[in-house]
Amino acid sequence: MKSNIIYQSIFAVALLSLASCKPELKTVTPTQGNADFSRYIAVGNSLTSGFADGGLYLDGQKNSFPDMIATQMKTVGGGEFYTPFFNDAQADGTGYKKLSSFTATGDPVITDVAAQAVRDVITVPGFGKVNLLTKYSGEINNYGVPGIKLGQITYKPYGNLNGYFERLLPGNSPTNNTAYIDFVTEKPFTFFSLWLGNNDILGYATTGGASPADQPTDKATFTALYNLAASRMTANGAKGVVATIPDVLSTPYFTTVTLAALLKGVQASAPTVTALYIKTGAGAVRPATAKDYFILPFSSAGLLGKPNESGIPYGLHPLNPIESQYVLDEAEAATVADYVAYYNQTIKSVAAAKQLAVVDAYAIFKEYAAGKMVNGAEVSAAYITGNIFSLDGIHLTPLGYAIVANEFIRSINKTYAAGIPIVDVTKYRGVKFP
Amino acid sequence: MKKILLSMLLVLPALGFAQSFQVNLQGQKQTAMGGAGTGVAMDEAAVFFNPGAVSFLEKNGIQAGISPLYLKTAFRENGSNITEYNKDKIATPIMGYAVFGNPQGRIRFGLGIYTPFGGAMHWKEDWTGKYAITSLDLQAIYVQPTISIKITDQIGIGGGLVYSMGKVDLRRAVPLTLNDGRQGDVKLKGDSHDFGWNAGIYIKTISGVSIGITHRSQVTANVKDGDATFNVPDALRSSFPTKFSAELPLPATTSIGLGFYPSSKTTIAVDANWVHWNKYKELAFIYNNNDRIENTISPRNYHDAAALRVGIENQATSKLALRAGVGYAFTPVGKGYVTPEVPDANRILLSAGLGYKASERFQIDFSFLYENVKARNETNIETGLSGEFKTVAYIPGISLSYKW
Repeated sequence: MKSNIIYQSIFAVALLSLASCKPELKTVTPTQGNADFSRYIAVGNSLTSGFADGGLYLDGQKNSFPDMIATQMKTVGGGEFYTPFFNDAQADGTGYKKLSSFTATGDPVITDVAAQAVRDVITVPGFGKVNLLTKYSGEINNYGVPGIKLGQITYKPYGNLNGYFERLLPGNSPTNNTAYIDFVTEKPFTFFSLWLGNNDILGYATTGGASPADQPTDKATFTALYNLAASRMTANGAKGVVATIPDVLSTPYFTTVTLAALLKGVQASAPTVTALYIKTGAGAVRPATAKDYFILPFSSAGLLGKPNESGIPYGLHPLNPIESQYVLDEAEAATVADYVAYYNQTIKSVAAAKQLAVVDAYAIFKEYAAGKMVNGAEVSAAYITGNIFSLDGIHLTPLGYAIVANEFIRSINKTYAAGIPIVDVTKYRGVKFP
Repeated sequence: MKKILLSMLLVLPALGFAQSFQVNLQGQKQTAMGGAGTGVAMDEAAVFFNPGAVSFLEKNGIQAGISPLYLKTAFRENGSNITEYNKDKIATPIMGYAVFGNPQGRIRFGLGIYTPFGGAMHWKEDWTGKYAITSLDLQAIYVQPTISIKITDQIGIGGGLVYSMGKVDLRRAVPLTLNDGRQGDVKLKGDSHDFGWNAGIYIKTISGVSIGITHRSQVTANVKDGDATFNVPDALRSSFPTKFSAELPLPATTSIGLGFYPSSKTTIAVDANWVHWNKYKELAFIYNNNDRIENTISPRNYHDAAALRVGIENQATSKLALRAGVGYAFTPVGKGYVTPEVPDANRILLSAGLGYKASERFQIDFSFLYENVKARNETNIETGLSGEFKTVAYIPGISLSYKW
């Protein structure tokens, strides 16, 4: 037996293997595909700005999804990315909500962190009060302006009415005369994300359909403006990604305070109560059903059961119903669903016509809201414990924004044959607990 | 290699693995021969490999050994460009055997201490899979008093009672954000004391081929009253559990082995193992307080898995024996169930070793085992963790024995 040769070769194999101690995976090379990320700009509203916990503040800005995407784009030729950060001394920005403690019954106690970056409060005639914020004058890549509607992107005086936009403009309110779409396209760019349209329906929904100033943007207007926005963004050959409007009604803002929960609370002291009365958007008073949505702030408003001058308890009797502003009644909810469906159809068809990448945020939010495991962490639309929605019940936590960032990256990669590496979502936090 | 040598100073009393968390490092001679040894009366380690062969050992003896295990796993999340590695930890499974009684008689006695199950997997505290696992130290040491009876000159049977001492220490991050922005975590630590058995039959056929058949029973490790230490936000702490119980099946193994003796100096051992992993359906942690969290029931749904091993020993000189072996172990872990604490897959084993007889009574044996676990790209059905694992292990070993 020439066993020595066998032994020698086995030893040789073993030694060779030892020489490269670490196991190797196939090399992954990030690629830009057929897109150019040298100047990426992010156009959008609060979701683009990093708005969270009912405010815009430095920690939220640093965890905006465009910032995360831009960091990943640097591996495939992406350039510097500038977000209009609040400075460190004013890190609390516009102020935000904080979870301070829990009551004995387990309800969250939410308190406000004071604003640091409000430089003035002015009254614009015919509009109302505007909080002016500390000006930002540096480079901008993240153009996210909380509150902006698609319906407002061509409105030139808008920079006087929205403190977040005014902050980015050189002039002071009320002297501004630059429309948002003109402002963001001033400097050349090679790639963009466009996530607009949420506020065209969100304001209607969050005010229970009761605010005359916050009615849904007309469908034809929406379509016209979306086409205009897409044309303006692609005018110089830039490629980009757009996103649909999330399912507003599956956010904790509308799913946390339920009829059943409210009734249970009332019945603890008044067991005979079996119905709550609401005033609908149409002006009718009727018992609430499970198809009506109560908004999140109603739980802390402290109104339910409070007697009026005539001694009739609030919400428990047809003569003192829950006001329309706290309820998105069944008909209003149907309006929301109808507009969201129409808007999203528009977004998808415009994107298809312009050959842009699409993130179906509607489908994605619905999927995650229903409960999903992300790298071993359970996330859902549950208020506070769901990990993806911040304390305002509409905007996201850093973890939520990281999930969104990865959806954008996947969509960009697919459409442009690129290989932008994804973000490690586990590096990002959920709601901070006391 | 400097780093590796340094970390050997931080020796852990726990183990790596050879098939899922089963460890097959019970004797240096057998390890050098691909882990085969069921069908041969090799040495004192027959207490483990085949109690029926113990009565065929020509001498009484005592041996002690150790197999420092260096295991490296790479993980890359799908879509990411970052490869993460587990930390350098050297696990040290030990083994010790004694065989006594009258070598000319029909009845022999043995005692074995060995480590058939274990794992030492440590990832960085903030790695991508931290919510699944940050570290797992698992160890079951079996103590096995044994009796072996030579029924005829051709047939021996033997059996032993197994007393299992188990330890588990599992840590992971908890997806709750503390006030300083860090995530919470939990440590689950407990021990177990359980019983099992090991039995075998050894036959020397007239053709010269020897045959061994063994069965080592399942031991169900019951952890009762383990400590669950949750590091979670203060506001929630009182609603979290402090104790847990868990049950982990350490599966039964049925083996058949053959011994061939082509010359007076050469032994070839061939083994087939069947590990009854199908009992490992889930890993369940039952907590003493479910106010905030449910019990953790993680599906595992392992299936039975085989391993094949071939080894050769050649007595090159009167003092020096050379050994080599190969093996292939099939993974018991099905698609969708690969977890970062045991990133198992089919694996190839290559081994070599030598034995040196310093004197008539004293012998030293070295082994070296290289395990190459196939790369595996999976999405775990429970955690959603999606990525590719690749593992290699380097396991040198040494034992000293004294015969009389």
